[in-house]
Amino acid sequence: MGLRGFSMPDEIYFLCMLHNIGATSSDNSLTLEEIIRWTTLEPDKVRENLQKLMETDYVQRVNRSGVERYHVTVNGIRKVLSMYS
Amino acid sequence: MVTWEFPPRIVGGIARHCSGLSQALAKENHEVHIVTLDFPGTPLFEDLEGVKVHRVRTEIGHPNFLTWTFLFNHFMEKQVATLDRDVGFDVIHIHDWLTAPAGITSKHYLNKPLVLTVHSTEIGRAQGLHNPDSSLIDGIEWWMAYESKKVIVTSNSMKWELHNHFRLPMEKIKVIPNAIDVTKYWKEVNRESVRLRFGISPHEKLVLFIGRLVPQKGVEYLISAIPLIVQHHKEAKFVITGEGWSKSYLENLAALTGYGDRIRFAGFISDFDLVDLTLSADVLAIPSIYEPFGIVALEGMAANVPVVAVNAGGLAEIVEHDRTGVLVYPKSPESLAWGVNKVLSDHGYSQWLIQNAKRKVQEVYSWQAVAKETVKVYEEASNR
Repeated sequence: MGLRGFSMPDEIYFLCMLHNIGATSSDNSLTLEEIIRWTTLEPDKVRENLQKLMETDYVQRVNRSGVERYHVTVNGIRKVLSMYS
Repeated sequence: MVTWEFPPRIVGGIARHCSGLSQALAKENHEVHIVTLDFPGTPLFEDLEGVKVHRVRTEIGHPNFLTWTFLFNHFMEKQVATLDRDVGFDVIHIHDWLTAPAGITSKHYLNKPLVLTVHSTEIGRAQGLHNPDSSLIDGIEWWMAYESKKVIVTSNSMKWELHNHFRLPMEKIKVIPNAIDVTKYWKEVNRESVRLRFGISPHEKLVLFIGRLVPQKGVEYLISAIPLIVQHHKEAKFVITGEGWSKSYLENLAALTGYGDRIRFAGFISDFDLVDLTLSADVLAIPSIYEPFGIVALEGMAANVPVVAVNAGGLAEIVEHDRTGVLVYPKSPESLAWGVNKVLSDHGYSQWLIQNAKRKVQEVYSWQAVAKETVKVYEEASNR
């Protein structure tokens, strides 16, 4: 069936990277610049992925000391783990 | 016990298995320590009815999955070593490859026997070894099976898979089936109210899928079977629970059937709600293409829901065709539709399956039985 040839969506692969880096709670949230540095993706692509993941409640944006930071939500963690188990 | 998932960090069957087994061992007065990964909102240490759970924080990460895996294993090793100074473990028990490095290292520096439970293999999950990461995971699986004193599997199907693929000696492998806590299903639920929460009216039939939305679970075959089911049962509706990376593909596939309004993707559901939903279903469909055990079949059997499962892997050992459920051909929407239609069409037959299944699950699949057999394996592994 078709799924054998179906590749993982970009934003889900990106979500896995965020999870593996350790951005899984507000305390461990990362700034846009830090995410760009870790993932080595183009800034526009990082913004696009974050936007998609926030819309699906897999990533949350928090504001700490006036700086926007991002972390994977509990739903996002479950999404990531479902791929590895 | 070293495991990468333990409630509330629930991904697949490993968390439920480790939870059920550890609690049953503690009830038999064994001292059980769980070393696992942390999860938001849960304490780093807690005592759950005698089971001591130590959640490890991985202090550094890396975007690459395998690199991250080796990093968290390091922090698990550190926790095992620290605990051993006070506890003095008799056995180290690991589950699947994700905690293999921590288990193997601990075995060597603590000089303690290593017991491994294999719940599934990479070659089975991925239906082949298609990239270097898969080949490495397959190598780790061979390595952990070689290093372990005893290997536990949950079905004969998995025993043969390990023997054939890794050339593991049969005498090193012990089959101990999975189990469930049947008392979770001894409750009255308001079926109408539960079904309404998922958009199912009283006169409609609820066909339920429970599992991760990944290729090995075969959800695509259930979706392809839906037009063939609706053709005979216009009142049928389908609830697909679970999360997974192929969710968006499956949602698109569901829309293409023309019956999108009858299919609901419910996402991750808590254990409590899942019990209520299962108790309220008319049929539980299990279309997996790879299922070394299939604990979800036991859950359906305990919840008085007729089970329609593929005749593959461990499922074929749990479900007895035409007695405790209906077995259908794997990867065949036509066969799956036939099984679901058969159950939905004949209430008497459905009740007969339910009664037989309930009896079997209560008699055979208890955590107390699993704990007793596991202790025997620990004792054999400890005899040097």
